[in-house]
Amino acid sequence: MSQSTLDSHGQRHSVAELEDLAFELRSKLLYLCGTYEGAVHIGGDLSVADILIALYHYGLNIDPSNIANPARDRFILSKGHAAVCMYIAMAMRGFFEFDEIVETYGQLDSAFGMHPCKVQLPGVEASTGSLGHGLPIAVGMAKSARQRNEPHRVFCLLGDGETGEGSVWEAAMAGRSSELGNLVAIVDRNRQLMTSFGEDRIVLEPYPDKWAAFGWNVVMVEGHDMADLVKALDNLPAPESNRPTVLICETVKGKGVDFMERNLAWHAGSLGQTDLERAMASLEASRASKEKN
Amino acid sequence: MPVTFTFGEWFSARTVIGQTLADLGEEYPNLWAVTPDIGMTLVEFREKFPDRFLDVGLAEQVAVGVAAGLAYEGNIPVVSGMLPFLSMRALEQIRTDVCYPNLPVKIIGTHGGLVGNGGSTHYAVEDLSLMCSLTNMTVTSIGDPLMVGEILRQSMKMQGPIYIRLAVGKSDMVLYEPGQHDIQIGKGIVAREGTDVTIFTHGTTVAQTLEAADALEAKGHSVRVVDMFTLKPIDADLIERCAKETGGRFVVVEDHLAYGGLASRIADVVVDRGINLTGFERLGIPQVFSGFGDDEELRNKYGYGLSATIEAAQRVIAAKN
Repeated sequence: MSQSTLDSHGQRHSVAELEDLAFELRSKLLYLCGTYEGAVHIGGDLSVADILIALYHYGLNIDPSNIANPARDRFILSKGHAAVCMYIAMAMRGFFEFDEIVETYGQLDSAFGMHPCKVQLPGVEASTGSLGHGLPIAVGMAKSARQRNEPHRVFCLLGDGETGEGSVWEAAMAGRSSELGNLVAIVDRNRQLMTSFGEDRIVLEPYPDKWAAFGWNVVMVEGHDMADLVKALDNLPAPESNRPTVLICETVKGKGVDFMERNLAWHAGSLGQTDLERAMASLEASRASKEKN
Repeated sequence: MPVTFTFGEWFSARTVIGQTLADLGEEYPNLWAVTPDIGMTLVEFREKFPDRFLDVGLAEQVAVGVAAGLAYEGNIPVVSGMLPFLSMRALEQIRTDVCYPNLPVKIIGTHGGLVGNGGSTHYAVEDLSLMCSLTNMTVTSIGDPLMVGEILRQSMKMQGPIYIRLAVGKSDMVLYEPGQHDIQIGKGIVAREGTDVTIFTHGTTVAQTLEAADALEAKGHSVRVVDMFTLKPIDADLIERCAKETGGRFVVVEDHLAYGGLASRIADVVVDRGINLTGFERLGIPQVFSGFGDDEELRNKYGYGLSATIEAAQRVIAAKN
């Protein structure tokens, strides 16, 4: 397994530590959502919070002090509207300061905006935001790594709603055809689009079968179970193998805040002071109940 | 194998592209060729560099997206295909995945204009308008088959993306002797000197315009022909100079919608610089879906063929100050 973040004892993060980091990430997300005046894509941020912690603090071989290292793993946030969640996960990893995000987010000339921009923020791997664009780019990166005999992986995080875009499936075919075992798609299967619940208007099921039919190695993951995420990352096929892998992560949009969970009203929004306190209380309660179980 | 040719003969631009890329592949170990199932031009490259050749099948969006991913990794990808599809189906990938991060992706293709008799699905007639509107994009349209090799070579030193438009590219007239003109991206070529009128053109209509200039000369007119093969950035200084030196008389002929292509770009320069013109006519495709026919028949039908060019030049020359 690749090098990952270490705890204060020089050990790889344990699942419990990663869970604490995920709690911290969610708290910071809510704080930003409560202090920034504009809308934050809080629903889809909360559904990928555990995934992004598992990647940035465990799975990805990256070094914040050497962002251009050719040997690093690549990560593309194809669901670019979860940018702020990625920024915070990156800040917690040491790419930049959380305060910098809070102080400048969405403001004129800030590097931190609603969708990630490679030009403004070189620590991200690609400018994304328009859905269905990330996986083709990831295929190009993985293909390049293959041609150069570089052993790193290319990860790409997509929303399940995003996979309605035809270009995702074009890329799925291309990834399989080029036998890119170094390519890992991660789907945030939160079963919500912006204005509808999964299956109500667009039928994605049988969802894992679709990826399997495109020749991908399909792994089902509990997307809010850190142990399961860690296991999935630990057990990825070798990058030299000949099939791309998709981790289909079952998630809940708005995860951790009871009044946001599975609530179409919270695709994006902002929290006032009162709602921020309510949201924080709900997050604390959700953690306490998890610990009790 | 070096390209051999004879001036004034017909030659395949596709052959030039294939040989040029195969040569450049040696020089640039990071040069890639990507295609959505239009790979005949790339056979030589594919055979020499199979690990840097990728045919994604019929998937223009992924062809351009993959090229962006390759370019992010420091490669120089050339995406080769048919322009009606690359310029429209993959337009958003070109804009967002390539132009936004300003990646060195080259989009090169055929079927620019009413060429190839494929019908309106297979004619790129809006492409130059679309491409010229994209930030960071350099836009070219090439008539001389040998020139496309030179443009590809020059483009290897460029930072950002470039769009290279050809007609069918199977059989094009060699227009320029090597070394006859200083060919530089961003600079128009004065293909023929003259003082009564300037005819600006690009791509497939350059040969026809030179023929028109010969016919006009036989009638006693001195006609300047400018091959404005780079539409963006436009050579504004040359436009201004031509206005001064040819009595403010301009004709623009192009195998593209008459509004939105070269004529519109020249008109922008004229207005922005406050250039006084005596006469201005634009010949190009009207806002119609044009139907079937040979290239020449369609140019004649839609008013930008040889005789239409001669007549327009005569009208503009006759225009009073």
